[in-house]
Amino acid sequence: MATASVIGRGTVVRGNVRGQGDLEILGRVEGDVSVDGDVTLGQEAVVRGNVSGAEISVAGTVQGDLRGTEGVLLERGARVVGDLSAPRIGVAPGALVRGLVRTDGEPGLVAPQAQRRAAATPSLRAAPMPAQRPFVAKEAPRAIPAERPTPIERSPAPERVAAPAQPERPTVVERAEQPAARREKEAPPPPVVPVLAKGAKAKKKRREN
Amino acid sequence: MATVIGEGLSIEGDLTSDEDVAVHGTLRGKLTTEDTVVVGATGVVQADISGSSVNIAGQVTGDVTASERVDLQAGGRLIGDVRAARFTIADGASFKGNVDMEI
Repeated sequence: MATASVIGRGTVVRGNVRGQGDLEILGRVEGDVSVDGDVTLGQEAVVRGNVSGAEISVAGTVQGDLRGTEGVLLERGARVVGDLSAPRIGVAPGALVRGLVRTDGEPGLVAPQAQRRAAATPSLRAAPMPAQRPFVAKEAPRAIPAERPTPIERSPAPERVAAPAQPERPTVVERAEQPAARREKEAPPPPVVPVLAKGAKAKKKRREN
Repeated sequence: MATVIGEGLSIEGDLTSDEDVAVHGTLRGKLTTEDTVVVGATGVVQADISGSSVNIAGQVTGDVTASERVDLQAGGRLIGDVRAARFTIADGASFKGNVDMEI
């Protein structure tokens, strides 16, 4: 296996870097970087050129495209002007990106290498991030309505908008009985009502009383 | 952290540094540093090298300039001129070029 390579903090490379093995860049590269291992860019790293590797982790500055066959991870403090493309892309809060972000894997190109690497190194730093984010986003709205103490309130409101002509439906029995006549009086300007807060609706009714 | 060009990595272009540079891969272009240069046994350098001290165990094609010393190790192969105050050639090394010891 090829040994790991480092371009140190005080080092400037003007030209292309390519080959096998992992590469850590802490200095400056003006040219394209293309390796089949992982590429790590430190906080003070500056790359002007395209970077391609298995998994690319960036905490520094890149002016060029990033193409990872496994993933691209932009850490806090990263500044990237260029396109990102990888099967998995993670952007930490505090990272700056300007460019096209694409998470298609281009399976024909990626699959053989990704599988080979997955067998060698099962841990992938970028993997948890995209997987967790959608979960949180989906669960949050679902959880909030469930916690609300009055689920009955929700059903009459859309019902009134959808079918003001037939106010008495089995789903809204408790509330439909008492303000049936009043609700028909309110019927002409209905669409605004459901948008209002619950308390406001109650106050309005009390005022009308 | 020093710069390491690992085995299997190849750089085409100039490398400028103010710290140690170790080449175990391939470098074509120019190598300039203010510190030590080590060309490992697997290293292939087709470039002029300049550093404070240069240690060659691999293959170098190009002129070597050092402010302190140049050491050509056994198994090392250097084709090019050497300009340094001190220069050693180990038994088993091969060398073709001129030497200027800056007298």
